[in-house]
Amino acid sequence: MEWALALAAILAVAAVFFVARPFLRDPAPASDRLDELDPAARRHLELAEERDRALAALKELEFDHRTGKVSDDDYRAQVGPLRRRAAEALRALDGRETPSRERVPATHERLP
Amino acid sequence: MAPLGRAALILAFGLVAYAFVAGSYAAWKRRRRLALSAQNALLAAFPVTLIAAVVLLVALGRRDMTFVYVWQHTSHDLPLAYAFSAFWGGPEGSLLLWFLVLTGYAGIAVWLNRRSRELIAWVVPVFGLIAFFFGFMLCFVSSPFNLQPAPPDGNGMVPSLQNPYMLAHPPLLYLGYVGLSVPFAFAMGALLSGRTDERWIVATRRWTLAAWTFLGVGQLLGAHWAYTEIGWGGYYAWDPVENAALMPWLASTAFLHSVMIQEKRGMLKVWNMVLVALAFNLSLFGTFLTRSGVLDSIHAFSKSSVGGWFLGFLAVMVVLSVALIYLRLPLLRTKTRLESLVSREATFLYNNLLLVALCLTILWGVLYPVLSEAVRGQTRSVSKPYYDFFLHTFGLPLLLLMGLGPLVAWRRASLRSLGKTFLVPFTGAVVTGAILLALGFDSSWAGLLAYTFAAFVTVSILLEFVRGRLATGSFSRLISRNRRRYGGYLVHAAVVLLAIGIAGSSAYQTIRENTHLRPGQSITAAGYTITYTGLTGTKGPDYTGYRALLTASGHGERFSLSPGQSVYTGDNQSNDASIYHDPRTLGDVFTKAALAGRHGTTIDLQVYVKPLVNLIWAAGFLFVAGSLVAMWPDAVEQRRLAARYAAGAAPVGI
Amino acid sequence: MIALSVAATLAIFVVYTALAGAGIVQLTPSTLAGHKGDITLVGAVVGPVQGSAYTRHGLRFKLKDIGASSADRVLVDYRGSVPDLFKVGRHVTVEGTLLHGVFVAKPGSLVTKCPSKYAPAKSSSKT
Repeated sequence: MEWALALAAILAVAAVFFVARPFLRDPAPASDRLDELDPAARRHLELAEERDRALAALKELEFDHRTGKVSDDDYRAQVGPLRRRAAEALRALDGRETPSRERVPATHERLP
Repeated sequence: MAPLGRAALILAFGLVAYAFVAGSYAAWKRRRRLALSAQNALLAAFPVTLIAAVVLLVALGRRDMTFVYVWQHTSHDLPLAYAFSAFWGGPEGSLLLWFLVLTGYAGIAVWLNRRSRELIAWVVPVFGLIAFFFGFMLCFVSSPFNLQPAPPDGNGMVPSLQNPYMLAHPPLLYLGYVGLSVPFAFAMGALLSGRTDERWIVATRRWTLAAWTFLGVGQLLGAHWAYTEIGWGGYYAWDPVENAALMPWLASTAFLHSVMIQEKRGMLKVWNMVLVALAFNLSLFGTFLTRSGVLDSIHAFSKSSVGGWFLGFLAVMVVLSVALIYLRLPLLRTKTRLESLVSREATFLYNNLLLVALCLTILWGVLYPVLSEAVRGQTRSVSKPYYDFFLHTFGLPLLLLMGLGPLVAWRRASLRSLGKTFLVPFTGAVVTGAILLALGFDSSWAGLLAYTFAAFVTVSILLEFVRGRLATGSFSRLISRNRRRYGGYLVHAAVVLLAIGIAGSSAYQTIRENTHLRPGQSITAAGYTITYTGLTGTKGPDYTGYRALLTASGHGERFSLSPGQSVYTGDNQSNDASIYHDPRTLGDVFTKAALAGRHGTTIDLQVYVKPLVNLIWAAGFLFVAGSLVAMWPDAVEQRRLAARYAAGAAPVGI
Repeated sequence: MIALSVAATLAIFVVYTALAGAGIVQLTPSTLAGHKGDITLVGAVVGPVQGSAYTRHGLRFKLKDIGASSADRVLVDYRGSVPDLFKVGRHVTVEGTLLHGVFVAKPGSLVTKCPSKYAPAKSSSKT
């Protein structure tokens, strides 16, 4: 079954080429360091999640109140702290700069 | 052809081995190009494995008996569809199916989330490790491409497997089992990368839901197969292989609920990691149980050579999961605490405990023979009474919680608002219970409780839809803005149908037997009179047999049934049950017949009247519909998540 | 709190198995003699298979140890549904009790395995 072996050989060559592609496209990069979130970016992400959680909780409380699941008294008791939480999270996010990452230059960029 | 298949498998094995080794090194040493290279290796593994799969499919389709696997599982007269289904009939083929689906899922999941490079750098080697095991098994332990001089014909397939269920039940289960590797890989990737945010949950939520749905539907199909084709009169026997699919399904049900608590409250991070590891390792364990032959099961697979290897790999994955979770405990701990034991978070927690408890009791029952032999030197096994006890102990409160949870608000609920929201469902349940008691349903306390709790849940779900509709103005707006919640309610409704169907057909079924029934004689059961009128012979291309002709009447219905037996070439026989679906009771009249002697027309007849059993199958459709609603992409949510992760990645995958 | 709750709920089934009896013992024909109470019997079917599982007299067959060369045979008296795969030579498990030298099976407890369909081929050559 020569055709089968030939096909297998072509497959293997194609696979090796595909696997080696990152090295072939960028043989001498300025930096080979893998992107990672620095502590500031991680903190930003945590705050963004906290913000989304607070906003989602407010939205659900409003919906539960509209559908009668939460009484007026319970709503009044919970909406204040939730709004404060959401405001704090928004303030904390606004107070931070846009987070940075360890930036890996694209292959077409030239460094000075 | 076989050399091409074998070469493709070796190449795929090499690729996933590279993905594991190079990917681990790249993630550890923060090497960008090497990480991308490992990712490419994982991506390439699927098309290469697909070639191996196509080779096997073609060999099966052509009935190429030079392939040992084809010879073992097919014959020249086997219909083409069943010849293809032999792909998953034996251990080698089913390993290849696992490998194929795994590389496919891994490739898609990694590609869709490729821009989250920090996370994916660790996810790739985890997928690589799992695929490495299956690739190793296929290349060196259990290959489907072994050859032999071609014998004239193959061993064929037993008649009881030659039905449409064989085409659907195993592949759906595999799509479910393997699908649980995706949340596992992302969870372990998050632990390895030290990421404590919810990126991994967001990336895998729909994968988990899809895998869970496939497992659920696969099990329902298996139950229907057992009921209609195997014909022993039931649909679930607490068989180890049946339990093997139920356990990961229960664990992933718990995970799907508790992950909502993490998303909404930032709690239970450790618990979620434990659950996702439990679900995946149970899916590995389930595959091991099914294929190793280590436990006695009605699923008649022989003892194969893969058992020991599977056990070793399972041990490695369990140790790896536990070690990773333990090492990252400081990162996973949160300050957020449960504010009240009367809150939706708390009901989710109770639900989780019950689901995991039920899962572990089933695991205990499955392992009992092995453990008892190891500890006492004597093999002991548990059976239906054990499982029924715990199904009632944990399952009935779970059913009730499905109705309680949606009625309780997040964070805390005052007793006053609880009283208000509970009033109507509670009244519905009490009225239902009273009516059923008056009608004599107290013959089974478990059945009565199941029906009463089902009424509670049904009313609470209906109220949710009604209140939501009133609040939003239309059902479509209600559901489109709250897909997960209302999709979840539909799934809960499906579980209610399932519970009612199971309770009716088990707690309230009627069984009548009559031996030595002669033509003209009758048997009565639950208001039906079934008269035996005579025998008729049957003949097909590969079988001969007989049918007992029955006419039946009762409750305003008249119908006929024809149970019997068939004997196939090769001396295999099948018991052919005959079932009448009663639209009035949504139940069945299920009959089995056997000749009382070698000659004459006297038969032994068994009649089962199973009220409400068809609700079980109807539940499957509602289950799928609810899952689809819950999974359906929400453009608003996608944009919000994309904005959230813009610092670390572009749009999240699925 | 979670850990305590898990331990408490799991304690239920440990207590159950301790109090309600630790399962049913599993034996082979050669180890059956003298045992009382509920037993799961595992063996290979030896012919002839007589009678009908749905009659008063039941289905009668013998079991021997799987694989081993022991000469012990146990007569099994069975009623209830018979799996499709049941026939002489197949491996089965069945629950019941030993009464006067006959293993009286619980109705519907017969489970059959079919190893011959899935066993590795005797003649195969790897290429």
